[in-house]
Amino acid sequence: MIDIAGILMDNILYVILITLGGVLISWSVHFVPVGGAPAAMAQATGIGTGTVQLAAGAGLTGLITAGAMMQITDNMALVLASGAAGAMIMISVTMMVGTWSYVYGVGCPPASAKVKYDPITKDRQDLYVSQGTEGHGLPTVSFVSGVIGGGLGGFGGSMVYYALMSIENGLALPDLVGIASIFAVGVFFVNAVIPSYNIGGTIEGFHDPKFKRFPRAVLSSLVATFFCAILGVLAIGGL
Amino acid sequence: MEPLTGMGVLALMGAAATIAGASEDLESDVGSQSNPNSQVQLAPQMMYPHRIHSKAVSGEPPSNALMCAIGGTTASVLVSTGASAALALAIGAIVAATIHGTYAATSYLGRSASQKRFKQPVYLDVMRSHIPVIMGYSFITTFCILVVSYLMATVLAHPFPLPLLAFIWGITVGAVGSSTGDVHYGAERQFQNVEYGSGLNAANSGNIVRKAESGLRNGIDNSWFCAKFGGPVTGLAFGMTVFLSGWITAVFDPSRGDAIGWVSVIAGVIIVLILILWNRNIEVAARKAYGTYKEDENEAEVAA
Repeated sequence: MIDIAGILMDNILYVILITLGGVLISWSVHFVPVGGAPAAMAQATGIGTGTVQLAAGAGLTGLITAGAMMQITDNMALVLASGAAGAMIMISVTMMVGTWSYVYGVGCPPASAKVKYDPITKDRQDLYVSQGTEGHGLPTVSFVSGVIGGGLGGFGGSMVYYALMSIENGLALPDLVGIASIFAVGVFFVNAVIPSYNIGGTIEGFHDPKFKRFPRAVLSSLVATFFCAILGVLAIGGL
Repeated sequence: MEPLTGMGVLALMGAAATIAGASEDLESDVGSQSNPNSQVQLAPQMMYPHRIHSKAVSGEPPSNALMCAIGGTTASVLVSTGASAALALAIGAIVAATIHGTYAATSYLGRSASQKRFKQPVYLDVMRSHIPVIMGYSFITTFCILVVSYLMATVLAHPFPLPLLAFIWGITVGAVGSSTGDVHYGAERQFQNVEYGSGLNAANSGNIVRKAESGLRNGIDNSWFCAKFGGPVTGLAFGMTVFLSGWITAVFDPSRGDAIGWVSVIAGVIIVLILILWNRNIEVAARKAYGTYKEDENEAEVAA
């Protein structure tokens, strides 16, 4: 018989860390400038793919670097920072090459349709938006927002993985790594999907009016991840 | 591990990842997957029936993750029975390509048949000619991702099991491919009938180019075009992702102490800052070279 209450009380810190990690992932997705299908036709500002897809791509790359780091150090801050660094590299390389595609492949300059002036560079935006589109490419503000989003997502994902790996259990290390990493990927997907209801296909970054809706997603993620955390802690702690 | 060995392995991983990225993008162009597929599906509804293969199996990241996870699992099982790694990875990739081929076939038939009311024909010769190409590209992608994952799991001693590494890199290559190379296919190749140098005007949605350089355009014509730019840049993006995310820990090996680990994180941040500045540089250069699409109203009034 598994002592459910006992396991939960022993690992309450990790339940909190997993929940916090999930909330960070949910918040991070709002920063990632995605334009969905319209952006692939240079019809909307942002990267031409779905919210979940890009956030997961970046966050999971961060999980790989965090997993490698966790093998050689117990320093939580270092594991989380390396996860953030891995995710930031993936997302910035992707956005950089995306810019090549827009500028050299399609022949349109990066422009935002949500703001008249780029909040960071103060560059005029509306004159560079081609007719019948909602902007295209990645202006500096969207790029920086994407880097922040990737970093937060990698940080949150690594936090979930670190907490799951730290739970007391009777598993051999390779089995624990297997279960913890699959659980971390699962928690990541749950929290990457929830914000997509807020975003509704396209968001340009933190300067987009849709960004202000993030508290709703964060609250939903808090509840959803809390249950995931309890399940994860019980599943791993009970083995 | 010797730093030089680490760098050598990393270079090999980067090269394999570059090929994987390029073939992933071209695979999605032949079959027309991911976001630009919305236009291919919309075209018959706007009275533009076409001869382009249409396979929205799913978004590119999940479909590549499925392929790579199937390949990784098969390879992992074969390696555990004592098969050589090269054989195991090749067989894993063949199994994955076969399964992907079945999805490519059923999704083409399903999509096209459901558009019968818009007079969209189902071309059996398109299936016969395109599906082997799709399977070929998916074999290359899966094999290269498996090489990257296998090298990580064995030589670099990454703790994650081979199928999970393949799954994650599959998600990442799909995310990179649908973010970069697809733009070249969706925004340029599909709409070569409008003037170069602007995004797709919403009024032109569905009006994709249906005539090829010779005859009617099909998916293989599209991959011919995208192989000149979209495919290679996707390869570079994924190769850079794999290489740079490994490079920072290969050069500043965290196993020599936490301080070196922090240096590796700082190196990662510096790379990101360089990329931000590079993007800004291209943004400024593009605006200068291409100019504005419309005049500033205030300035126009002053001039008048």
